[in-house]
Amino acid sequence: MRLKKGIALILTMLLTGSILMAGCSTAAKTSVTTAEPTAAATKTDNTSAVTESTKAAASDDSLAKVKSAGVLVLGLDSAFPPMGFLNDKNEIVGFDIDLAKEVTKRMGITLKLQPIDWSSNILELNSGNIDCIWNGFSISEERKAEVNFTDAYMQNRQVVIVRGDSNIKTLADMAGKTLCLQAGSSAADALASNASFKSSLKSVVELSDNVTAFMELEGKTSDAILMDEIVAAYYITQNAKDYKILDESLADEQYGVGFRLADQTLRDEVNNQLKAMAADGTLAKISNTWFGKDVTVIK
Amino acid sequence: MLSAINYSSMISFLLDGTVKAVELFFLTIVLSLPLGLLVARLRMIKFKAVQLPVKFYLLIMRGTPLILQLMFFMYFPPLVLGFGVDRFMVAVFSFTINYAAYFAEIFRGGIESIPVGQQEAAYVLGLSQFQTFIRITVPQVVKRIIPTVAGESMTLVKDTALASIIGVTELFRNAGSLKATYSSVIPFAVAGLFYLIMNSVVAAFYSRVEKKLNYYKG
Repeated sequence: MRLKKGIALILTMLLTGSILMAGCSTAAKTSVTTAEPTAAATKTDNTSAVTESTKAAASDDSLAKVKSAGVLVLGLDSAFPPMGFLNDKNEIVGFDIDLAKEVTKRMGITLKLQPIDWSSNILELNSGNIDCIWNGFSISEERKAEVNFTDAYMQNRQVVIVRGDSNIKTLADMAGKTLCLQAGSSAADALASNASFKSSLKSVVELSDNVTAFMELEGKTSDAILMDEIVAAYYITQNAKDYKILDESLADEQYGVGFRLADQTLRDEVNNQLKAMAADGTLAKISNTWFGKDVTVIK
Repeated sequence: MLSAINYSSMISFLLDGTVKAVELFFLTIVLSLPLGLLVARLRMIKFKAVQLPVKFYLLIMRGTPLILQLMFFMYFPPLVLGFGVDRFMVAVFSFTINYAAYFAEIFRGGIESIPVGQQEAAYVLGLSQFQTFIRITVPQVVKRIIPTVAGESMTLVKDTALASIIGVTELFRNAGSLKATYSSVIPFAVAGLFYLIMNSVVAAFYSRVEKKLNYYKG
């Protein structure tokens, strides 16, 4: 009797398990189908990237693959207002999202938003899980070696933000103070290339995202944040915070959309669409909605 | 947008994450328990050729961080082997083989604590090794390891948060996204409450199982 109970228990477990697995394998099939086009794209892209062959137009079918799949997968850190974040209806919105929606509309395909961990962004791109990184992605020489950027579409500076009542007015005043920033961001790169400034600081705190950085500032566990001016201005306005942005900036940089190194045709298509949008005024219109002025730089 | 919290939409988004975490939990438990039992049995086989790979597997799984294992299984296949993988399936796979290693050692401890005399008695009574294992040993082992398995299950509920590192939209990641939307830590506090509720259910479940298996003392 007791043995039968035990066996019945084990059988029920296995039965429940197989039912759950059956349910999940149906779900897995649908996701695998959508993943296949990108996975197939990876096979071609990886071979060309690994052998470091020049981007021969003949073997570059990135645009064709995306068009036949009918979808462009955009990877983003969905906690980066105003470029890409959740609104209070839990939809992903943002300046970059609006740009991407317009571009894909003109290309005749749909846009799929894939939240990723920002520190794995290039990894996700190269493994084919996403087709592009479009999230306030700053162009830099190191990143250019791994990513195929479009032309710059927006100007940005790395700036230092302090509390309103702080007596820090210049970068020199930051000596002996605590600075925080987002790990893996271009703020971190800017700091690394500014050795004298970095060594003057008491400590540098690396956080997972910019909102945590603002909490550090608010809670006085950090004296200043180093981050993108665009994001800082947005946050300060939206939350009506008494924070100040120092005049001196650490690095001037530009945002671009990042593609796999071998995906030249895809990158060119998106680039052309952005140019067209600049020419007919759509780009300026979207910029006005978000920033009250035209901050775009694409010609 | 970055303003007062819309509680109903926050709760619904966190609930979506909770459902993902629960799915991850159930799939892992259902798959890793039998796998753990199998591995435990293999570990006890006298052949070096079987024991060494098993011991190696146990060492790797228990000796490296689960978060790194998740990243490995997510990015190694596409970058080195050339095929894409589904995020959620990677999480289930990685959690399963990791937890199976822990369960294997728990099972082995339980199995080895059963007096050898029982095996001898079973042999004398004519039961095969397999019959002895399934009908005599395992039921007793299950009863003995319930508290430990309960503890591991509760750890698993919390470990589902690690899947956020490969972009799975489970509870912890969703709370993180909401933190940016509302510039507040309240989503995390609510997420903490949800984890507590999930684990209270798990604890209560195992407590009931223990009571049911207590039909004799010892």
